[in-house]
Order: sequence, then structure tokens, then C-alpha cells
Amino acid sequence: MSTDQQDDQGEEDTLVNVADGVDHQVAMVMDLNKCIGCQTCTIACKNLWTEDGGSEYMYWNNVETKPGEGYPRGWEDSGGGWESSEHSDRSPGEIPDDEDYGRAWEFNHEEIMYEGSDEPLRPRDGAEWGPNWDEDQGAGEYPNSYYFYLPRICNHCTHPSCVEACPRSALYKRQEDGIVLVDQDRCRGYRYCVEGCPYKKVYYNTVSKKSEKCIFCYPRIEGEGPDGETFAPACAEECPPQLRLVGFLDDEEGPIHKLVNEYEVALPLHPEFRTQPNVYYIPPFAPGQHTEDGETVDIDRIPRQYLRELFGDGVDEALDTIDAHRQRVRQGGDSELMELLQDKNPAKQYRLEVFDDD
Amino acid sequence: MTDHRRTLTLTAVLSALIVVSTVAAPMVSARPAHEIPVSEVSTADLAEPNADGWEAVPASDVPLSSAPSSVPNADDTSIETVDVQAARTDQRLYVRLEWQDATRDMNASATREFADAVAVQFPVNTSSRPPIAMGGPDNRVNVWYWSGSTGTQELLAGGAGSTTPFENPTVQANASHSGTGSNATWTVVYSRQLDAPSENRTDLRTDGDLDVAFAVWNGSNGERSGQKAVSEWHYYPFSGGPQGPPYETLLWTLAGIAIVAVVGVTSFGIYRTQGAE
Repeated sequence: MSTDQQDDQGEEDTLVNVADGVDHQVAMVMDLNKCIGCQTCTIACKNLWTEDGGSEYMYWNNVETKPGEGYPRGWEDSGGGWESSEHSDRSPGEIPDDEDYGRAWEFNHEEIMYEGSDEPLRPRDGAEWGPNWDEDQGAGEYPNSYYFYLPRICNHCTHPSCVEACPRSALYKRQEDGIVLVDQDRCRGYRYCVEGCPYKKVYYNTVSKKSEKCIFCYPRIEGEGPDGETFAPACAEECPPQLRLVGFLDDEEGPIHKLVNEYEVALPLHPEFRTQPNVYYIPPFAPGQHTEDGETVDIDRIPRQYLRELFGDGVDEALDTIDAHRQRVRQGGDSELMELLQDKNPAKQYRLEVFDDD
Repeated sequence: MTDHRRTLTLTAVLSALIVVSTVAAPMVSARPAHEIPVSEVSTADLAEPNADGWEAVPASDVPLSSAPSSVPNADDTSIETVDVQAARTDQRLYVRLEWQDATRDMNASATREFADAVAVQFPVNTSSRPPIAMGGPDNRVNVWYWSGSTGTQELLAGGAGSTTPFENPTVQANASHSGTGSNATWTVVYSRQLDAPSENRTDLRTDGDLDVAFAVWNGSNGERSGQKAVSEWHYYPFSGGPQGPPYETLLWTLAGIAIVAVVGVTSFGIYRTQGAE
């Protein structure tokens, strides 16, 4: 699927398709070629938002190895999303089991620390799955095995099926910036949002009995911190290789708009769910395959078909475009695209001024 | 002369029997299908599901079916009937609900876990009957809700999706699950003072009939929200007097008068014929 932005609502002056009734749309571009799987984003998010009782198992931001089962296990086959691009009929989904998320394991700290046991520190029984259980496993045979990391947050979709799934309208898309939120006063813990999200990025808090999700760190982008300063979401700011761009999708001066709509090199994950995500990915490159003798040959290490399954058919063109610009720069030419992808200026990476509306 | 007297006596007895039966019939056998009797009691030993006081209170079998709802699997419900008893002192209304449910689902502490629940719905304004599915914007409902995981809640709703809990419930509920296997049952007793404790709460001291409806959720079947087994509107006959809607009494009275008249005319005819001999 190429960026097929021209469906309905005749927006004036912009090609960018934001949801009806939404003024602007927050967006993120993640360059998968920069992700080192360090989980700093995961921990930054967890420390901020999901440390309380009932949210231990939640990772609003997670980084999973692809190919792999992901978090929660098997989420790509758990249903949800829309039946067609009319966005009238939702596809039913399933609530992941506790085991699919991975329960917090119990360890034998007590025995080792206080009872003098000399057995190794290890989880007690039942540690048979967890987030990143299959980390770095990937697929393929030596010497052509492959994997890459996929950081995931809520996509703050233009057509969020979680919002539509809630019979109480407890989930909503914020008018000012399209952030999808759960109204904790309206939520009654029915979990239709959990099953209705095809990315499984809404979570049920087992203590508060209400659903929760990534809030795009809205207090940070609103400048609600102690010093009144505006910050990008914690997952973006804390990322050691700084692989995330943050801004409005409809900010035509910003890098996100250029990467998504002009160069069409940043792609949504699983566009076939038809929720129109607003997190976009620069697809991963990998070295060519190796022969038994260690010679590099011109065969994709990551099967192109696998990337199409993740990012849609637009991935071919996206990879070709990036490749062409790379060649151009290698031969001494200029490329705005290469500059955008390599920019180290935080002020350009995080277009925080767009969030400042007063 | 003896014949004459015998005929008169027969006529009188027959007429009396007919009158008695017309008056008595609606009170004994023909309780209207949607009426749930309410026992008037002076003292209440009714707060607990197994309180002795409930033994003397008649029960109604209320059939349940899947609620019409847009939520997924709305027609997959598992509870088919609920036994309802009601009793009223001069201070409180007690409602006891009993239904079969093999599993005692008390928790919603795992991602796929849902608790058993039960609800009683009344119109906020008892003079008109709201839409059955959570009332309507101009015709709200007051709901007494109990679930294994949340305990008792008192809700206000003005249409599907608008359900909102009152901050301080004035309804008490006590629940008990007893028995084993498929015969296991939940019993929940609700009670509330008759006077409306605040605005938007049903006044139970009404003199008219009080509309009431019931809903049951089986947690282990994933039932929650609109996926629930519900009754139609029923009513508590608080209007007193002969039970049943007024037109029914009127019809029975008319029928009684007609029968008495026919018997009278016939007897008079026979008497006249015999007298003429």
C-alpha cells in the first residue's frame, strides 16, 4: 500500500489526512536502522507511567525482535482493526492471556540472600515465556540468519478501532493533537479496546480494573514539567541512538511530513489493519547474504516478502528510494533525504514548537 | 310452590357462586405475566440471601434472553432465568435474585477474567416506562448493580453507554454462592430505603405500579457490558387493591355481571314457564 491519503474529507491547503474533528496529528518516525535493542525507551516509559500496582506487566513502549512472537506473544494474529477502508465494520479481536504478556517472575532471592542457599539466582517455576523471550533469535540459517528490532508504542491511529470498540466512549482522540486517551472516569474495564486494537497497545490494569495506554507523554509535550519546559516523549528523548523523530504529521515544514508524505520512505506498521497508524518506520536494511565461503552476494538477507508483510507493499519503493539517495551521496551529490535521516540536531528531530499553541 | 322455591334457591346459589368466582379468579390464578408480587412485611429478617424471612415470600420465575447490543458476542449469554422475590417493610424494599451458575467468578484480576454480576433496573421517574436498554436521555433509569469484583454500585443511565455510578451507593447488597456443579446458584439480596435518598434515585414509596427489569452476567462466559441476559420490563404492583392492570378487573366485573344477568333471565323464564302450567 502506498500512502493513500486521498480518501475523504477534502482538507484545504494540505495533503495530510488527519482524522475528522482533529486539528493536528502527533506523529513519530522511527528509523529501524538505528535501533540497537537496548530497551532504554522501554525503561524510560516504564519508570514514568507503569510502575504502579496492576501495571507491572504493561510495556506501553516495548522493543521486540523481528521476526519473532512479539509482545504480547502472537499479537499480529490476535485480530482487531477494520474489515475495510470504509471503517464501518470492525474486525473482532481477542484479549491476550496473562501468559502471552508474560507474568512477572518470582526469583529465589529469599533463599540466596537470607537462607544461605548456594543454588544460582533464577526464576522459580513457571518461567516459560516473557517479553523478549525470543530476543535476538530471528530467523534464517547460518550464515544468513537475520533479525532486527522493532520498537512499538500506541500508533495514535487516524481511525482508532479501540475508540470505536468502546461502548461507553471512554476512549477518545484529542481534538488538539489526535492523541488517543482512555478517560479513567468513564472506563468500566470491559476490555473491548484491548481486543479491538490490532497492535494490542491498550492494556487492562488488573488493580484499578480499567484500561490504560500510551499517552504520547502529553504532559511533557504540553510543558507540564517542573520547569515548564516542553519535552518530547520520554521514549524518544532517552533513546541512545536517537532514532525517533517527533512532531505533527501535518507540519509541512517538519521532517516527519517529508519522510512520510514527500519521500514516502517512512511506513506504517501493518497497514492492512486499516487503522492508519501515526507511528512510521524507516524499514531496515541488512547486509546481503553470505555464501559458505563468506562471500557477500546480492541477495536480500531480510526476505523482502517479510518486510512487505510488516510494512505493506510500499516497502519496495521506500527501500529503493533510500538506496538511490545513498548512491547519490556516495558519488558526491546532495540529498535532503540523507540529511533528514542523519540529522543530529534535536531541535529538528523534535519539532516541539508545534506543540506550543499559546 | 315447592318447585318454585327450589328454582329460586338454585338461582340464588348459582348466582352467588358465579359472583364469588369472578371476583376471586384474578386474585388466585391469573397473576399477570409481568407482575412480580411484593410481600408486605412488618419486620424484616431479609437482608441476607439465606434469611428465614424469605421462606414466606413468593418467587417469580423471570425469563432472560440476550440483550440487543452492538458489543461483540452480544447474543452469547448463558443465564436463562432468574428467580425474583420482593418484600417491603414500611421503610425498605428488599429484592432477592437467585439464578443457576456453576462457576463463582469473583475476580477481574487477570486480563481475560470477568466477574459474575447482576442488576435491577428502575425508572427514575416512576410515572413512565423508559426504553428497556438502559433508559433514554429524557427517561433515565436507576440501576442497582452488584458484581463479584466491584461489589455494590448504584448507577444512573440515560441510554446505552451513559451508565455512571453514584459516588455513594445507598443500596445494600449481600451475595452468596452455594451448591456445586450445575446446580450451584448465586443469591443476591438488594435493599434500599423507600424514600428516594437524592435526586435521580427512584422513589420506592410510589403508589403506582413500579416498573422493574433484571440483568445477569456470567463472568466465565466473558459476559460484560451489553453482553448480558436481560428480562423484559416487569412491575411491582404497588398500586394495591385487586392485582393486575385496571382493565383486567373491569373486564372480569363486566363478565360477571353478564353471566349473572343471563342466569337470572334464564331462571326467570323457567319459573314463568313452570308457573304457567
